[in-house]
Amino acid sequence: MSRQANFSEVEHTADWAIRVRGATLPELFVNAATGMYSLVADISAITPTVEREVEVESVDAEALLVKWLNELLYHTETGGEVFCAFRVEAFEPTHIQSIVKAGRGVELKKQIKAVTFHNLQIISSGGGYQATLVFDV
Amino acid sequence: MIRKQDFKRIGEYLWEIPQTFREDMRVPARIYADDALLEAALGERSVEQLVNTATLPGIVEYALAMPDIHQGYGFPIGGVAATRLPHGIISPGGVGYDINCGVRVMGTHITHEEITPHIGELATALYYNCPSGVGEKGSIKVTEAEFDDLCVKGARWALGRGYARPQDLPRTEESGCLAGAHPDKVSKRARERGRPQVGTLGAGNHFIEVDKVTAVYDQDAARAMGLFEGQVTVQIHCGSRGFGHQICTDYVDEFQSAIKKYDIKLPDRELVCAPFDSPEGQSYFAAMACAANYAFANRQVLLYHIRRSFEQVLAGKVSDWDVFQVYDIAHNMAKVETHEIDGERMQVCVHRKGATRAFGPGFEGLPPEYRAIGQPVLVPGSMGTASYVLVGTAGSMEQTFGSTCHGAGRVMSRAQAKRQVRGDKLRGELEHQGIAVRAGSLPGLAEEAPSAYKDVDRVVEVVQRAGIARQVARLEPIAVIKG
Repeated sequence: MSRQANFSEVEHTADWAIRVRGATLPELFVNAATGMYSLVADISAITPTVEREVEVESVDAEALLVKWLNELLYHTETGGEVFCAFRVEAFEPTHIQSIVKAGRGVELKKQIKAVTFHNLQIISSGGGYQATLVFDV
Repeated sequence: MIRKQDFKRIGEYLWEIPQTFREDMRVPARIYADDALLEAALGERSVEQLVNTATLPGIVEYALAMPDIHQGYGFPIGGVAATRLPHGIISPGGVGYDINCGVRVMGTHITHEEITPHIGELATALYYNCPSGVGEKGSIKVTEAEFDDLCVKGARWALGRGYARPQDLPRTEESGCLAGAHPDKVSKRARERGRPQVGTLGAGNHFIEVDKVTAVYDQDAARAMGLFEGQVTVQIHCGSRGFGHQICTDYVDEFQSAIKKYDIKLPDRELVCAPFDSPEGQSYFAAMACAANYAFANRQVLLYHIRRSFEQVLAGKVSDWDVFQVYDIAHNMAKVETHEIDGERMQVCVHRKGATRAFGPGFEGLPPEYRAIGQPVLVPGSMGTASYVLVGTAGSMEQTFGSTCHGAGRVMSRAQAKRQVRGDKLRGELEHQGIAVRAGSLPGLAEEAPSAYKDVDRVVEVVQRAGIARQVARLEPIAVIKG
């Protein structure tokens, strides 16, 4: 699947939303992070200077996805880290261990305040997974 | 899909979806709108979100929506829901990520004619003195220990630091200090995000605007607020920055377990909630109050920067460059209030998400000069269009738990606005209308284009005709400052 097909912007009146696909759950997570950061920056132009291990746990896969993405946003706001590369090292639906890379000093087009749970459901379909994420901006 | 036929028309500007519409509704859902505004709401998923809100445990009377209703997450924006205390729920998603996002309006003794030669210079001074933009840090240093004080005292903290005048505080909702704040209920992460951002505007739809009063509809109320036709006024629209965002994020995550513990069934996980009197509910309320106080302090420090800017640019050029507070009001908050419900005085937790408190005349929490006219309500329009100063009424107390609209309300998605509007062209058009624009991001400006919003005149007309607020004055922009 091409990167373009992995996520697409969905119309939302007040905020931003993306539909994400992945052949596996870890791939869905990586595509969600790539989609989220593509909304705020030209991530293909970022030269990574920071590498960080991000590990989170939650009650189920949806809550894990929201928590993992919010964890990344926290580092963006407090450390100016704009993430551009994501690798999942270990994965269970309630636990993710990942290595993520970021650049600093990247101009952000927009601020995402938080990732929401709004109507969030990871759906298994056609041999893969799909989810729609709404961001508070 | 909800259709117009699903509504029962209750009044000229009031529509109801009966409780029988969906099995999980605990109360009916009501929308204040004219035909056109209702049609606009039906074009997106906001009404479905309102129906979802009607399922919350402990909700009383109705799930309400103001005429500026539009699609949010969890609650619709423009939504009001009251839950019976002590066991009714409190929902972080019913307040939103930008806790105590709100509006502050200030008056001056300067006329539009007097300021016209200096407006460009003033706009530039405001842009540089009031830090704005994504993740921008403020010029105010707040120590760790002092931050606790800020969380508990709100605008009173700002007074102690010299960023406020004593007379600013009574002209702020809750006198700028919401009771019940406990900083130990706030995560380290929220503190890390919030501490450097005190006194900053942020980005998105937040702004500072210099306006002129173009119409006065209620002379007595305007006089009480110090407003007159032709006068220059200033507005701030912003909230609790990364501090509030992190608190909401933390508690929405934590409440995912709480709904299982309390066996609460919800149609949308963003509506997660806990009984108000549960340990989880109490912790969230205490943390939310910290963010509410942060936002009051934040807007107070921004007022300090605005006063500095007026002095820098206008001292010696106009006879009086003072900026005085008219009122400061929240539009994302959960409050413990007492309302009359079915003839009984009942303590409830009122969630207002994109809705403004609008208490009527006689409310004791108002400063003496406003007690006879009712609480001032500030309704900013979209960029480049009018804003309104209203007052709360006896009708808002009877119908909407003392609530009314908060703005124009979006109709166009941000993505569509960006496709249809170019930021540089929009800036040119606004400048052509005589509005000085200072914006950090042109795509951000395009997303906030006036065409992306409903007609604020129509929204305000509906709340007035429905009797849930009364018009006092109309403001039109002469300078817009955005991140």
